[in-house]
Amino acid sequence: MNAPKIVSFAGAPREPVPVPLASADEFGIEQVLDAEGLPNGNRPEPDLDQATVVKMYEVMVTVAALDRIGWQLQRSGRMEFWIPSRGQEAAHVASTAAMRPSDWIFLADREPGSFLWRGAGLTQMFAQFFGRADEPLKGRRLPLLLGDRSINIVPCTTQVGSYIPHAAGAAWAAKLRGDDTRFIVYFGDGATSRGEFHSALNFAGIHHPPVVFFCQNNGWAVSTPNDRQTATATFAEKADAYAVRRVRVDGNDPLAVYAATADALAAMPDEGATLIEAVTYRMGFHTSSDNPDLYRSGDEVDAWGRWDPIARTRKYLEHKGWWDSGREAALHEVADRDIKAAITAAEAMPKPVPESQFDDVFEQPTWMLDDQRDRLLDDLSNGGAL
Amino acid sequence: MSTEMTVLQATTAAMTRAMLDDSAVVVMGEDVGVAGGIFRATQGLQQQFGEDRVIDTPLDEKGIAAHAIGMALYGLRPIAEIQFSGFIHDAFEQIMFCGTKYRWITGGQYTCPMVLRAPSFGGIKGGFWHSQSPETYFIHGGGMKVVCPATPDDAYRLLLAAIADPDPVLVLEAVPLYRSLSGQVNDDGVPAEIGRAEVVRPGDDLTIVAYGPARHLALRAADEMSAREGYSIEVIDLRSLVPWDREAVSASVRRTGRLVVLHEGSQTLGFGSEIVAAIQEHDFGYLHGPIQRIAGHDMPYGFSIGDEYYRPSIERIRAAVRRAMGFEF
Repeated sequence: MNAPKIVSFAGAPREPVPVPLASADEFGIEQVLDAEGLPNGNRPEPDLDQATVVKMYEVMVTVAALDRIGWQLQRSGRMEFWIPSRGQEAAHVASTAAMRPSDWIFLADREPGSFLWRGAGLTQMFAQFFGRADEPLKGRRLPLLLGDRSINIVPCTTQVGSYIPHAAGAAWAAKLRGDDTRFIVYFGDGATSRGEFHSALNFAGIHHPPVVFFCQNNGWAVSTPNDRQTATATFAEKADAYAVRRVRVDGNDPLAVYAATADALAAMPDEGATLIEAVTYRMGFHTSSDNPDLYRSGDEVDAWGRWDPIARTRKYLEHKGWWDSGREAALHEVADRDIKAAITAAEAMPKPVPESQFDDVFEQPTWMLDDQRDRLLDDLSNGGAL
Repeated sequence: MSTEMTVLQATTAAMTRAMLDDSAVVVMGEDVGVAGGIFRATQGLQQQFGEDRVIDTPLDEKGIAAHAIGMALYGLRPIAEIQFSGFIHDAFEQIMFCGTKYRWITGGQYTCPMVLRAPSFGGIKGGFWHSQSPETYFIHGGGMKVVCPATPDDAYRLLLAAIADPDPVLVLEAVPLYRSLSGQVNDDGVPAEIGRAEVVRPGDDLTIVAYGPARHLALRAADEMSAREGYSIEVIDLRSLVPWDREAVSASVRRTGRLVVLHEGSQTLGFGSEIVAAIQEHDFGYLHGPIQRIAGHDMPYGFSIGDEYYRPSIERIRAAVRRAMGFEF
């Protein structure tokens, strides 16, 4: 008689899945750097100068500092909510770096580095995290749901993946207008199960809008692993069903991510959209309301730690002779100092006034909204007084 | 110069006019190209304006709404046709949690000036999915303007107003009137003002408020009951639900003291509920009796008898008028 089969079940962390980056060729993953940050010949180094790679590294380190300090603020009760980005710095920073400043970015929620890359200030970002009135979104969105039209960054509509076709539609509009604006839209592995992902790729296969669909496959959609999200071996191959160009890339390798994104942009005139699956890992919690110990093992997290994008980038910089320990220490010191100064400045900023929530429902409020606003203000100041 | 147009021809004329006047206006939807849409509302547009501006989309309402939103974010003015409003619910999250919220969630930085044209209402033996009055779903939660043209001139001018509006507008088009109703329309490109009702028939004893095809049923009932029973009945066509013209209804009710609200959509939390709530709050002291509601029922719309017994009928209007006239506070 056969021994009973051991099945996984909800409530037990699964066995660690090997890190596919360690066998990139086998998994069809484009890679420039090995785990030690040295070019491994899998794919040629993109033609990037020292300043660009150093800037990518500086932003990545700042993102990690932001993530560490933001987490502390949430845990100590000074901020309501946090969405960690640790481990995914290379995927979003390097892909954003490949875009021009005039190109549009549709953000998800683990891409604070895209914001920093485009020049947004830390004080503005903390004003958003703290829900302050004087930031572009007027304190209306959860921390890290960032957006700022002045730097061409559209904040997400929160439901996972719902905004993917917005990017495709906007890209099609730009093409129709004869503009050379390009678009990139970030989303996660879980979003590929949503109808909008399929709507957008289907549309893109037909109309060839200039958009990069950038899937950060970080292994987990809250507690749901890749093999419970889809039966396909990769997320990239879903593009084949829609005749959309696709690539699978090491998301913890900034040079490979940059090159894959640059390739996608170069392919736009002929092929339109590309689906990039950046294979990365969510080192932290899903959000500050999660507990990953329930569903994944520390061994798995440790194994991915060997492929840390920040460490690999630093080693690459050192290998090129573009970095030293003095610059490393100064970078961390400046990041921590600037973040702390931004927190102090943002915490002192005022929250939105009650009537501000009635703004921007429409360009001009209807009489219905005017009535509701006037009633609220009157109740607060007169009728509702103790 | 005015020409005789059906509601459908006026709808096409408005889109043609808007596309001629503004290159940002594009039309998209299922079968809207060569076929001209299943009702032929977009007939000839692709031949006139090309495939880039009149886009046949995949059969995917969610995708139609979502891509229209993206185009609007970039600055186009898409007119998306949903084949029947009974199919619009696949796009509900896109419309109500994305398109109608972009202005607010981005602090006014990104806007979504799109038009959703949704052929609606019963009376064509269409069964549940093809006889829908979905207005209430799209009013709850804000960010959407909703208009319901019921004459050729309104079909023309309210659609022009929707296209010109800086925010999303849902146009619930009256399928049963598309080809059955015609009238003079001057194709002058002048939009209506969204939010203004029309007093279709003046009266002193009782006010009936309706919108969409129900406007015509209300008018018929008012004419008949005036002639046979001597009641002087005022009929108001709201034309627009967001915003709705409370001033016009209030002014009428303050004179007549009696109100009947009429719509095809389901009764519970239907738009009539809002009218009743607002008028009792605003004009309680002017009422001579309880406000009467006539609406569709809280159930699906059946194929064989829905047109007669789901939709408000003239019998129900007469009965409601008599109930209202029977009270005297």
